[in-house]
Amino acid sequence: MKRTLQDYKSDIKPVWCPGCGDYGVLAALQKALLALEIPPEDIITVSGIGCSGRFSHFLNSYSFHGTHGRALPTAVGAKTAKPDCTVLVAGGDGDGLGIGGGHISPVARKNVDLTYILIDNRVYGLTKGQASPTTPIGTKTKTSPLGVYESTLDVLPVFLAYDVSFIARSISTNMKQMTEIMQAAITHKGMSIVYIMSPCVTFPVLKSKEMKEMYQPLPDSYDPTNKMMAFEMAYKSGPMYSGIFYQISKPTLDEQLDSDFEKATRNNKSKPYSVEEVLNGFA
Amino acid sequence: MNDINYRSKLDFIIRVGGEGGDGVISCGELFASAAARTENHVFTYITYPAEIRGGFSMIQIRVRDWTIYSMGSKVDYLIVFNQEAYDHTIHDLKPGGVVIYDPDHVQIQKDLEAKFYPIPLTKLAVDLTGGVLGKNVVALGALGELFQVNKKGLHKLLKDRYGQKGDVVVEKNLKLLEAGYSAGKKNKLEKKFHLKTETDSKHNFMMLSGNEAVALGAIAAGCRFVAGYPITPATPIFETLTKLMPKVGGRAIQVEDEIAAISAIIGASFAGEKTITPTSGPGLQLMGEQLNLASMVELPIVIVDVQRGGPSTGLPTKTEQSDLKYAIYGTFGESPRIIIAPSSVEDCFYQTIRAFNLAERFQMPVIILTDQSIGYRKATVQIPDVSNMVAVKREQKSGKIVVPTAGRIEIASRAIANSAELVDYKRFLDNAKTGISPITIPGMAGGQYLATGLEHTEDGKANYTPEVHKQMTRKRFRKLTRLSAILEKNPKEYYGSTKTKIGIIGWGSTEGAIREARYIAEKKGIKIRQLHPKVISPLPETKIRHFLMGLKQVIVVEENYTGQFAHFIKAKFGVVPIEIHKYEGIPITPQEIYAGILKVARIVDEENITRL
Repeated sequence: MKRTLQDYKSDIKPVWCPGCGDYGVLAALQKALLALEIPPEDIITVSGIGCSGRFSHFLNSYSFHGTHGRALPTAVGAKTAKPDCTVLVAGGDGDGLGIGGGHISPVARKNVDLTYILIDNRVYGLTKGQASPTTPIGTKTKTSPLGVYESTLDVLPVFLAYDVSFIARSISTNMKQMTEIMQAAITHKGMSIVYIMSPCVTFPVLKSKEMKEMYQPLPDSYDPTNKMMAFEMAYKSGPMYSGIFYQISKPTLDEQLDSDFEKATRNNKSKPYSVEEVLNGFA
Repeated sequence: MNDINYRSKLDFIIRVGGEGGDGVISCGELFASAAARTENHVFTYITYPAEIRGGFSMIQIRVRDWTIYSMGSKVDYLIVFNQEAYDHTIHDLKPGGVVIYDPDHVQIQKDLEAKFYPIPLTKLAVDLTGGVLGKNVVALGALGELFQVNKKGLHKLLKDRYGQKGDVVVEKNLKLLEAGYSAGKKNKLEKKFHLKTETDSKHNFMMLSGNEAVALGAIAAGCRFVAGYPITPATPIFETLTKLMPKVGGRAIQVEDEIAAISAIIGASFAGEKTITPTSGPGLQLMGEQLNLASMVELPIVIVDVQRGGPSTGLPTKTEQSDLKYAIYGTFGESPRIIIAPSSVEDCFYQTIRAFNLAERFQMPVIILTDQSIGYRKATVQIPDVSNMVAVKREQKSGKIVVPTAGRIEIASRAIANSAELVDYKRFLDNAKTGISPITIPGMAGGQYLATGLEHTEDGKANYTPEVHKQMTRKRFRKLTRLSAILEKNPKEYYGSTKTKIGIIGWGSTEGAIREARYIAEKKGIKIRQLHPKVISPLPETKIRHFLMGLKQVIVVEENYTGQFAHFIKAKFGVVPIEIHKYEGIPITPQEIYAGILKVARIVDEENITRL
């Protein structure tokens, strides 16, 4: 039986505001999963708190909606325990770059084979319009009535510095690009981040029309294995670029742990030791 | 044989003290290992400074020809490397006890009722090797002479310990050991106890620390995933598991903090694995929000809190039983969890297995509360017999799963939804009797569900209506009610006289000290009933009321300031106990507890007299 998009939808209808960019991101993700023909029961989706944190509710998968900022480490445990499953993480700029920002570097260093869909609307939407790490300087929000004074986080260079093994940026209005990038990200062995700009219609810090004009696809000649070039393109602002900025191959956590197992059981014909053998090791 | 009437022919306590980095702990551990190879039992207690070097560090070793329940009270032998160690411990020496000291570094009080033997540990080490580092091995030699320890055995232990550093180092250590023996001979050490004979009658015993026992219990229970963050004094559990996991086909990861550690084990549990994270108070505190989440999404996880002195950074290397209230009630909202407190090194193994059985069957977090004293305590324990280990079937009712003991170990796993339950599958189906719902794991077609920290319906959808919150709160707590009913049917956890007016209650690592205090009291004609529950939340309430029946006075012993378990008992059973607290960072002794019992016995006596 051929799967359809319907197979990747849960029986819960999305509750985002009409016109929210997240609808497009969700649809792109479902299209990518369908294109890759991944059985829903082999997908683990973990999301944090926030509007985009609701992703797990709307996907037909083993879905986990945890606490604010902790989606990544939760997903690390799930992937490590069940390496055959496709593990997706979804969340927003507040969840992933604010409260949970500290978890990105360790997961990048372990190169855990998961795909992180990080959706940035440059504002805290669910709590109704406060400043986030990517709200531009000067923006007036409910927690910055006289304008934001903190410098805006340059997101892509941070991921590059962490050496995340797959880094891409897209915009929620470009369905084709999002779907292609997501397929590439899910197929990538190791940590992949798909960073998507997605405007909030209720607290429009990022405006849909401006966003569409602001972003241009990376030139065809662009080489995503060149890190210094990636830094340069990531810092460009006129125009800003979208596409796959960086992709390299390095051992995943799963591969490292398999290799640990080989080393630890070398004297036991690569078979796990029994409980009895372990106990006797202490006698 | 009756424990109370058992007369020891051999029972003594040694304390080795010095500066952190002097090697006092390794000196004591080597001696303890040698003693463990004789027909005797061994029990150690370690306290050391939080710094790598400097500060007072000591190891206490009790050797006995019969089961040892506690580290004992006063010390028979004192080996002190410096003045600080002498000043710290001399008041713990029994009258007439023996002090071996380094005369170049320790000034003694000659008027004390003690036997003093000066052995220039540092000078001997410097003369032999040019450095001070070997003084602990000189001390070990002196102990060897004092107790007539088989020299070959000590040679082997030294080789095992220093062999990796090369033959030169081993040779040096053997010379230092010999110097210790000679110095002991020259001093004509009075020999009271002999540890001469090595025996293989104890081949089924091993020397194990409480921390190691927890790690081994997890492996035996089938746990194959650990995530952790180093924290004193729980680190040895994490290190042991990190070493063992790849060997048994499990996985261990070190993560960035305790929040990530508990998140990872929740994620791994969601994926179907039995999981554990070891930590101490500060780490447990950080885990609060995620602990709550595990209760809400009903996933089994096991957390070990090796308690240390608090609050704040507190006393990282010292012991305290002060995380109980946080473990039971801590975190916002009301989230069910199970608390287990093992009572001895051996019990750490079996209660850890029990923790996994309960977590998996009741689908909620289990917190194992140990402490620094039991975590670092080493004791001779019987090697668990794996032929007594069986996996219980999915259909086996939770109430029929035995409490793990040396005689029988049943290993339970989560009851995965069967095909009937997968029809119109509801992950959080409200079972009116048990509250326990069928669970699925990723990879099972048709078992997909949403686990959300938001309040949710039986089929996992977010829902904040009054009806649903009421229903699901009851459902989650019904699991604890069910467990409590099962505990009522488990073997009783109190012992001692049934015809007495005095009861004594403790929890966790103090069991042995309380038991010995009871033995002392009973020898003096004071009858006591002792209760020491292992699962301390929930409690089997009928059974505890049965224990309390007829008692005039109840003593609660615990190592904290505020009386956390006493509050719990008061609130649940309406009794007003007499509380014995110790909050010095060191374990309570049988004598200290006995002193309390004696006072209570007088009160009870007076009450009786008044009534006449």
